[in-house]
Amino acid sequence: MQPAVAKSVAKPTDNGTVYTYNLRNSKWSNGDDVTASDFVFAWRRTVDPATKSQYAYLYSGVKNADKIMAGKAKASTLGVKALSKDKLQVTLEHPIPYFNTMLVNPAFFPQSEKAVGEYGKKFGTQSKYLVFNGPYKLTGWNGTNNSWKEVKNPTYWNAKNVHIDQINVTAIKDPSTAMNLYQSGKLDDASLTGDQAAVAKSKPDYQGVKQASTFYLELNEKKIPAFKNTKIRQAIGMSINREEYIKKVLQDGSIDAPNVTPQGLAQDPSTKEDFSKEAAKGYSQYTQYNPKEAKTLWTAGLKEANLKTLSVELLTDDTDNAKKSGEYLQNTLEKNLPGLKVTIATVPFKTRLSRSQNGQFDMVMGGWSADFPDPITFLDLFTTDGSYNDGKWSNAQYDKLIEQSKTTYATDAEKRWQALIQAQQILTKEQGIIPIYQRVQAHLVNPKVQNLKTAPGGSYNFVGVTLKK
Amino acid sequence: MVKYVLKRIGYLLLTLFIVASITFFLMKLLPGTPFNNPKIPAAQIAILRKQYGLDLPVWQQYLNYMVGIAHGDFGESYQFAGQTVSYLISTRIGPSLQLGVQAMIIGTLLGILLGAIAAIRKNTWVDATATIFAIIGRSIPNFVFAALLQFWLAYKWRLFPIALWDGFSSSILPTLALAMAPLANTARFMRTEMVDVLSSDYIELAKSKGESQWQVVAKHAMRNSMIPIVTIIGPMAVDLMLGSLVVENVFAIPGIGQQFVQSITTNDYPVIMGLTMLYSVMLTVVILIVDILYGFIDPRIRLSGEGN
Repeated sequence: MQPAVAKSVAKPTDNGTVYTYNLRNSKWSNGDDVTASDFVFAWRRTVDPATKSQYAYLYSGVKNADKIMAGKAKASTLGVKALSKDKLQVTLEHPIPYFNTMLVNPAFFPQSEKAVGEYGKKFGTQSKYLVFNGPYKLTGWNGTNNSWKEVKNPTYWNAKNVHIDQINVTAIKDPSTAMNLYQSGKLDDASLTGDQAAVAKSKPDYQGVKQASTFYLELNEKKIPAFKNTKIRQAIGMSINREEYIKKVLQDGSIDAPNVTPQGLAQDPSTKEDFSKEAAKGYSQYTQYNPKEAKTLWTAGLKEANLKTLSVELLTDDTDNAKKSGEYLQNTLEKNLPGLKVTIATVPFKTRLSRSQNGQFDMVMGGWSADFPDPITFLDLFTTDGSYNDGKWSNAQYDKLIEQSKTTYATDAEKRWQALIQAQQILTKEQGIIPIYQRVQAHLVNPKVQNLKTAPGGSYNFVGVTLKK
Repeated sequence: MVKYVLKRIGYLLLTLFIVASITFFLMKLLPGTPFNNPKIPAAQIAILRKQYGLDLPVWQQYLNYMVGIAHGDFGESYQFAGQTVSYLISTRIGPSLQLGVQAMIIGTLLGILLGAIAAIRKNTWVDATATIFAIIGRSIPNFVFAALLQFWLAYKWRLFPIALWDGFSSSILPTLALAMAPLANTARFMRTEMVDVLSSDYIELAKSKGESQWQVVAKHAMRNSMIPIVTIIGPMAVDLMLGSLVVENVFAIPGIGQQFVQSITTNDYPVIMGLTMLYSVMLTVVILIVDILYGFIDPRIRLSGEGN
């Protein structure tokens, strides 16, 4: 975690509910100072339902945010205050141990009150109706075009470490067009599809960028009572050869996921070990391909559930890999688990999403991407009343650990970490969901581009990037 | 004539009203919401729906919609917050119009030429080649042409830009890809019609007066053979000018075709409605113009009411 417009990462006071940030002396691209009241203005504006922000929900937990979003309180009551020009104070309703990590989300960035007032309804709709306090200024974007430029912002506080003066960005929908443009030197970075990645993998300019997104099978315990049986779920977890699936179906260099929490998301506060790796110690057998053990567990599980056979429907959608993935899973599950019959139902992507959320499925491949770099962004999903716990897996101890991580251990980083590790291990052992893979986005990157970093969410960091001559 | 045109304009407005209504109710049948971040909690979606007036009964939404449209107000896009539909269309339609017009001109001119040559040299290898060419142009989808043109002419031989919208040279390959279908269509129509015309009495008469074959074709046959082509040119032009998703995607062109498909997959109701209405208006107006033009091109056709 590195401070940017704040001088340092704030330590909370008042039992973890008050954060006071000292802001750096920095300027907007129009020359105005970036002040604490720009944050206050931006946050109130985002939470105000009249603004219609689709990201307001991220503010839940900041004092009064929920009430304001529901129209039951004024935006001015939000728990954010400018103590002075360069001192910002945030008050939370309850401790949020990962609050600092949430602030990396653009939904918490400051907005210039002057600029918003000046541009009115047009604010943010085109590059000329924006002001910036980051490393680059957006230019040439008319609000609907596919190409724009990022031009170095001289007023950025860390401008001395910005070495590239201009970046041209183009949205290209057709992957083979992007590949052709890259190969003829018109692009320095292009992302690849699975097929392209399989071909490009051996090239020196190939890069796989690990993303903080995991994909997993959800088993609907409400609809298929047999899925309540732990052995049956464990059998399914062990009957999938993730490496083969990634190699044959996805082909994009994704990695198999031993946990729902992806690698590279969060580190142990004391040992700096990766969360996912630490949690997988002693628990990786649950996601390792083991057809023999899977069969044993399956037979025992069916017996416990008083069943001889089981027929389920695997819900998939019409997106790129979904059809092939569905067929692969159908095949491998039926092959390794005797008496299991899997049929496939394919629906449009949006229908798939709504069916997942409404529990209208037996088995479905779901995915989640991190909102902020903390394991809770994944683990929070699978508590008994978690709104994205589509399969309705429930474990009292798991719920208790997640609860403790937010209350009892909220201000004790070490104990909180241990609680989350334990919770992750329970989820893996129980196979409450069946983790399949962590997405890796394949790229071709001009080898001249050095130090290009990608955040877990997939966004680029161009600060410090240089071009080798 | 005036009475006829007024009556037709009346029908046109009725057609637009029916199209708008059907589109509105079909849109309501689309799965999903315009709020495409799957992480937004249900409570938050309810708040957003209220802000956009989507919580009202369907008939009330329909009324609001129709009143807005009648005033020429198509509202704001959901996907591009703060962007009005008219701005969105006006900034994206330029490249599509340009490509459409270029493709139309090249396609019909070459098509007429190809069709005429095939007819004149009926049942020779020239005719056969032209026919094969037309069948290929008709049956291979334009994105295949687009990909082939891009790979060979741009990527391998570097004669044209691979993609992106940057000056006239970048419009050549997409124009060619789009021109294939109108070329093939026109060529087939032209050939059939020309063969008919060439065997008619007045052509025989012209020939017997001692005019050369080229004179006959240029002076008499061409004009009469082109009448049915006028019929297909209208709808074809509208189709072309409103963009092609695939060709625009292959050449990364910021056109309206891409926008149309995107608006449907993201449930961007106001944009879907705006584009459907634009398409309907263009199509109905073009058909009306073609019908009126008929009277001028072909004296044999009389507009109803004129004989009275």
